[in-house]
Amino acid sequence: MNKLAEAIIKFKWFIIIAVLGLTAVFGYQLKNIKINSDIISSLPDDDPAAALYKNIGTQFGGNDMGMIVLETDNIFKTDVLQHIKQITDSLKITQGISTVTSLTNVIDIKNADGGIEIGKLVDEYNLPDTKQGLDSLKAYLFSKEMYKGTVVSADGTATLIMFTFLHDCDKQAVAKDVKNKVASLNLPEKLYFGGLPMMMNDISDLIMADIIWLLPIVFLLIAIVLLISFRSVKGVVLPLLVAGISVIWTLGIMVLAGYELTMISNEIPIILLAVGSAYTIHVINRINQTFHNNRRKAIIQALSYIALPVFLAAVTTAIGFISFIFGSYLTIIRDFGLFTSIGVAISFILSITFVPAIVSVFSVYKNKNEKDLTSARESKLTRYVLQPLVNLLFKHPKYIMEFWSVLILLSIGGMFFIKTSVNMADYFKKDNATRVSEGIMQKKFGGSLPVFVSFKGDIQSPQVLKMMIKTEDYMKKFPAISTTQSVADLVIEMNGVMGEGKLIPNEKAKIEQLWFLLDGQDIMSQLVTENLDQGIIQSKFASVDSKSMEDFDKYMNDFVAQNSTDKCKIEVTGMPTVYNQLNKSLLKSQVSSLILAISLVLVIVGLMLRSFSKGVYATIPIIATIAVLFGFMGVFGIPLDIATVLVASIALGIGIDYSIHVITHFNHALKEKGDIDLALEDTILISGKAVIINVISVSAGFLVLLFSQIVPLQNFGLLVTISMFGSGFGSLTLLPVILILDSRRKKNSSKIIK
Amino acid sequence: MKNLKIQTVALTLLIVAGNLFSLNAQDATSILKKMDNVMYSPKDMVDKNKIILVDKAGKQESREATIQQKGIDKRMFRFTAPASQAGISVLSLPDNIMYLYLPAFGKERRIATSAKNQNFAGTDFSYDDMEAKSFAEKFTPKLLKTENDVFVLELTPKLGSDYSKVVLTVNKVNYYPESMEYYDKGNTKIKVAKYTFKKIGNYWNAQEIEMTDLKKNHKTKMQMSDVKYDTGLTDDDFTVRKLKQ
Repeated sequence: MNKLAEAIIKFKWFIIIAVLGLTAVFGYQLKNIKINSDIISSLPDDDPAAALYKNIGTQFGGNDMGMIVLETDNIFKTDVLQHIKQITDSLKITQGISTVTSLTNVIDIKNADGGIEIGKLVDEYNLPDTKQGLDSLKAYLFSKEMYKGTVVSADGTATLIMFTFLHDCDKQAVAKDVKNKVASLNLPEKLYFGGLPMMMNDISDLIMADIIWLLPIVFLLIAIVLLISFRSVKGVVLPLLVAGISVIWTLGIMVLAGYELTMISNEIPIILLAVGSAYTIHVINRINQTFHNNRRKAIIQALSYIALPVFLAAVTTAIGFISFIFGSYLTIIRDFGLFTSIGVAISFILSITFVPAIVSVFSVYKNKNEKDLTSARESKLTRYVLQPLVNLLFKHPKYIMEFWSVLILLSIGGMFFIKTSVNMADYFKKDNATRVSEGIMQKKFGGSLPVFVSFKGDIQSPQVLKMMIKTEDYMKKFPAISTTQSVADLVIEMNGVMGEGKLIPNEKAKIEQLWFLLDGQDIMSQLVTENLDQGIIQSKFASVDSKSMEDFDKYMNDFVAQNSTDKCKIEVTGMPTVYNQLNKSLLKSQVSSLILAISLVLVIVGLMLRSFSKGVYATIPIIATIAVLFGFMGVFGIPLDIATVLVASIALGIGIDYSIHVITHFNHALKEKGDIDLALEDTILISGKAVIINVISVSAGFLVLLFSQIVPLQNFGLLVTISMFGSGFGSLTLLPVILILDSRRKKNSSKIIK
Repeated sequence: MKNLKIQTVALTLLIVAGNLFSLNAQDATSILKKMDNVMYSPKDMVDKNKIILVDKAGKQESREATIQQKGIDKRMFRFTAPASQAGISVLSLPDNIMYLYLPAFGKERRIATSAKNQNFAGTDFSYDDMEAKSFAEKFTPKLLKTENDVFVLELTPKLGSDYSKVVLTVNKVNYYPESMEYYDKGNTKIKVAKYTFKKIGNYWNAQEIEMTDLKKNHKTKMQMSDVKYDTGLTDDDFTVRKLKQ
């Protein structure tokens, strides 16, 4: 360790220049940083339902669909129709939009004697302007199942304008363009935007807003906490500098590795600022507390002492994040775990190389005398918090045990009320435009959660088409399904046109010829593949209730099990299925990542303290905290979701450091002073202060997330803060009591042996 | 029959002669009318048509049909390939009336379509593009410029259309169209048609028309072969009874 420290001091200039150079290189990469708000792309390929959903979304263009809902008191008015036409026309000429379907341009097929008439539902060049004309349009429209509830809501107050994006366009840019163009029309009706590309555009804006607004606030808050704690410029600048460089490196590596910023990984900078600054604080603290007449030797001595504890703190923190790499359902969470642990590693490396190099180059090290240290002990924190705490611990250790026991019992009770939330609309604040749109879609047009049933086989064979119809009939019996669409419906429609009734013909030859009428229609590419070996039923699910989704999943799986054959392979997917998988996986990945993190931490801490029982003692406060955390979530109705599922393991990784501090200090002091009470007092007065400062500075960082635009991140911030306080408090109350009781027990047993 | 041919030859000569005298003084309207004359001068025409669809990946799919056409607005398509569509016939008559015959059903259906912006049978041609009306009837022309070999005209639709304008280049010598560029109402070019003309007998024949949908990056090529002009088709050849044969 000494040699390493010496090398660091020897090559200080090299280190500083290398760090600055790399920072410039990685910083330059940041201009290429992209935001990926496409949650669908984060679904894992190893889950068949999710893979099928992704595949269908791409192949049949379902992910390229946008919607605008226009809401007013009555759709059937000339000026309202005029406005719908204006939006339709404006979308039609927007670059990147392939097709637009609305009330004013939808095709209408009427049966006439001996044939059909293909026309428009509304003549867009001659909109109805008499009461009679409008009334007859309304009556006709509501008489046809294909319009009612799909083009115009059943209550006649809202209409849907659907549009498709060209597959290879920049969907976010087009979505933004659509919003701007529609806004510039200045229409009096209420307008809502829906569909995945529109939603993604919204999420991107939120991610950007979070980074632009929250990051500087976190920076400032941590600076303030550091300034109050250390009352020195160095104490503020160095930790923030190291954390800032770590953020730049991590994001730079992310860009170089071809990853994008997601609604989870946008937390990385905030986490690194909060966590990464701690290592520097430890290093500086140690250097300050090392007395030596030779500055160089003081730094080397301090470094060789502190490198290992800081390394262990970094390892345990990284474990919390690494635990997400295994057993997470969404790839965005795996990536988040990976890059945050890389960031933690970078923070560690910088704090033991770059920081001492800077300290030794710039004379920020000053010789301190004993007096400075004593005065540090007698701060307000010591007088009003730590000293009373010490007194309490010695007088009433049992009270503290009882307090924690009650708290944990209550929390275990609370855990049973934990809910999960996977519905994407819940991720937005209640007044967010996307969430409001989803609500409207749900209320007026039977929801917006896509459901797909895929059929693989010869799509032109009567058997496959008949099976599609059978499936659709079966689906419609489920309460949350109102409409379905497939190529089989179109074949039936055309068979009706040929005067043979609304059914699937028994001869393949007939179907092939009916196809002539369907070929080239825009809708076909959304329903069948070009080589006719796969077709889908499209539907929408009108509920966000997870129980209903689970029921639907089971309902459909029963059907598939009975009807899927080699010649007609049926598979079900869609958001209800994906949500259901996500829901199941949330609990599973919570348990697996937590077990992984706890066992790894236990091993590391046990090895480090060279005692398994001490390892267990160190993890008790944090396990108690996690119990309290889940209890809190249950009692206050904070659901387990893609962000809050991360809290427990992160809390474990960060919170264990407090226990490690306390235990190492206690061991050290016990050796020095030989008396448990004195050792504990020393530990709490000195390490307690460090723990409290760290809890406050980390929490300050995470609390800022309360102002995030994304609801799960708000909850995440709150929960991490609670966990920090819990584990800090636990390490200063529960852990000392355990240590007291343990040593009293040992004393007793050793007495008995004697 | 012979008489007819002489008449058309005379007409063509007249047009060519006319060119020589009024090359500089032509207004847009007469250019367009001359183009209409070149395109629609045969009394009737019989040919084999190959329709090739090319998607953005370059994948091709083709259909074949024989076509009979009388005047400008009577047309009979009889599909011969692919096998599954062989025998399907489409008779199109004036006023957007079509009759469709599907042999597997053994019956025909009347289809009246007023939705002109829909594409015809999976091609990149809309009903609007295929409408049996002369260009002079459908558009108001304006001469944009005269280049080496071509006149460039800007055509504005007279009636409701999805197009805001069509930019047309007409061969200066022979008055056949060389290309048409279709613009949407946002003034974006959305489709381009390229024509390859070849003289067959007395007439200029559109050997290939290639229509490209620029948005979808999808292409349709219509290739004509075995062209015969003025074969003496009568209105009786364009009836529902004939459709079913």
